Amino acid sequence: MTDSTKDAKELIDYICKEIIRRPDVQIAVDTPLVSSGLIDSFSLVDVLSKLEDLTAMRIPAGKVQPKDMDTVNLMLSTAHRVGKPRK
Amino acid sequence: MPDPFPRVQIPFTTLSEALLAAPQQKAFVTMWIDDNDERTFTFGEFSQWANAQAASFKEHGVRRGDTVILIMPQGVALMAAFTGAMLLGAVPAILAYPTFKVEPAKYRFGLAGISANLKAKLVVVDESFPVVFAETVGLGDQSKVIRVNSLPLISGNGDLTDTSCESQDLAFIQHSAGTTGLQKGVALSHGAVLRQLAHLTKALKIGPHDRIYSWLPLYHDMGLIACFILPMVYHLRVVMQPPTDWVLQPESMLHLISKYKCTLSWVPNFTLQFLARRVKPEYRKEYDLASLRALINCSEPVRAESMDSFTAAFSSCGLQPTALQSSYAMAENVFAVTQSAIDGTSMPRRIWIESSKYQSEQIAVPIDKGSASSACFISSGQCLPNNEVRIVSENGEALPDGHVGEILIRSDSMLDGYYNRPDLTTLSLRDGWYWSGDLGFLLDRELYITGRKKDLIIVGGKNIYPQDVEEIAFSHPAIHDGRAVAFGCYNPDLGTEEIVLVAEVEELSNLGDSSTIDRAIRSAIVADLGVVPRAIYLKPPRWIVKSTAGKPARSATREKLLAEHAELRIR
Repeated sequence: MTDSTKDAKELIDYICKEIIRRPDVQIAVDTPLVSSGLIDSFSLVDVLSKLEDLTAMRIPAGKVQPKDMDTVNLMLSTAHRVGKPRK
Repeated sequence: MPDPFPRVQIPFTTLSEALLAAPQQKAFVTMWIDDNDERTFTFGEFSQWANAQAASFKEHGVRRGDTVILIMPQGVALMAAFTGAMLLGAVPAILAYPTFKVEPAKYRFGLAGISANLKAKLVVVDESFPVVFAETVGLGDQSKVIRVNSLPLISGNGDLTDTSCESQDLAFIQHSAGTTGLQKGVALSHGAVLRQLAHLTKALKIGPHDRIYSWLPLYHDMGLIACFILPMVYHLRVVMQPPTDWVLQPESMLHLISKYKCTLSWVPNFTLQFLARRVKPEYRKEYDLASLRALINCSEPVRAESMDSFTAAFSSCGLQPTALQSSYAMAENVFAVTQSAIDGTSMPRRIWIESSKYQSEQIAVPIDKGSASSACFISSGQCLPNNEVRIVSENGEALPDGHVGEILIRSDSMLDGYYNRPDLTTLSLRDGWYWSGDLGFLLDRELYITGRKKDLIIVGGKNIYPQDVEEIAFSHPAIHDGRAVAFGCYNPDLGTEEIVLVAEVEELSNLGDSSTIDRAIRSAIVADLGVVPRAIYLKPPRWIVKSTAGKPARSATREKLLAEHAELRIR
């Protein structure tokens, strides 16, 4: 398993267990989350924090918009686009 | 009818005059872009930008009295466009910028409805505004759409202020609750706005060194009046950031208040709890909130637990216990109706009332703090000068202190009417009193808000009509038309209400597709209303309680759902 696949899987697990908390909901890397109403904008703070831990990067929230966080794939690509390695 | 209020002294006739009287070198607005980028404009620079914008609008044919719709991201460009329209004597109206979640067809429909009602001369959008939204806006023969960029404009055209503007002329239009298609345009005159600000600044004891912080959207009265028009007219500095940036980085609010030593801010109730929960204790030592004279809880019901959570979390940051204050406000009165006392020693009054009498008879009888079966209420303060509140029963009879009823308001800063909607104006404004649809009681001249007659749901400060949510459910083919009920359910963890929807499926077999139906309705609610419902319950045919008229009985259906679902009750 590559690092990015592992990160994606862990992020999906986190979002399902800690944010969505509905056993009937399964998500994939390209499932729309914010635009579909599965998670709201206020939860994105927690998701960003988890994303920072997973990628070991500091992600400046000022450079991130909710649309950049709509799917797990987008979250990971956003982290790599705007994130800086943690010191 | 004779004017019931004493005349208030106002130094200006119009809002434009107030701007032009500002000290040119003084900083007006600081816009936070991100951690490393903030931009500050002085009153002089801002006036120049607004004037240049006015020149551009004039070239596009805008004249005194024309309406101009502005759909731009939160920023100084939007503020300058708004002011530029007012300089010409035109009447601007800010509409919410579409988010990526919005469904294009429905947005276009809503925008067409509003622009047709406003008979807009011009619709101003930014460079990034999607073509698909702009091209089919239902405009009249004489109107057009233009794009403006976010870069400051400089004009050599001199002062374009229309000095023939009078106090009673319309200054701008604010839009109140509802989906974009159903929004009501609240028409406000220069005089009404200036009188409101005169009363508000007196209640707040505003001084030249006050500084305001805001993340609030400019299409909302709290963001527009308290955090843009007030500092513009009273020549104060305001530090702003867009709401979407604040949501992703809530602690930036504390950073900016600390950095700029802001003294005033307004927030809906949920913000207090959101900050208390999301800002990690180890980071709190970085903030200095001692400068805050008033952090005013407004536009959602004021909750004691939210105020207490915030105080507990941030008292170590120098937050004064008297900083947390409360207010009751609405666009129809320009902004505030009441304000708690801001004197450096008082906190909003708290009372404990007997729960059983309140629930059975809707009468608030104060009892000792913390008594068994008591409920705590926080006052929204006393009326501003030249504002009056009356509490009335269902049939319009005045009620005594402590009795819950509909809140009626009379003031010298009331709306002129709903723009181009005399039918709605007649319904809401009767004999000089505005029928708010809010419920509350008065006690010792303090106003306590208890709920909404109109079943309005307030999610994070945003007003949502349950009918709009239900309409979305009806449009799903698996939902029985007319058989859905939406209501608000308070979530103490978030400090705000959330939407709960219960809907009957057409056929029992549809329940096998519950997950798919849930997601489709959920997506549609987000696209149409911009909020995420907390829960959608799908029920078999004939589950929803009907009234004798055969319509869904909202209250009885709500009780039935709460009885079946303990997870809703415990919150």
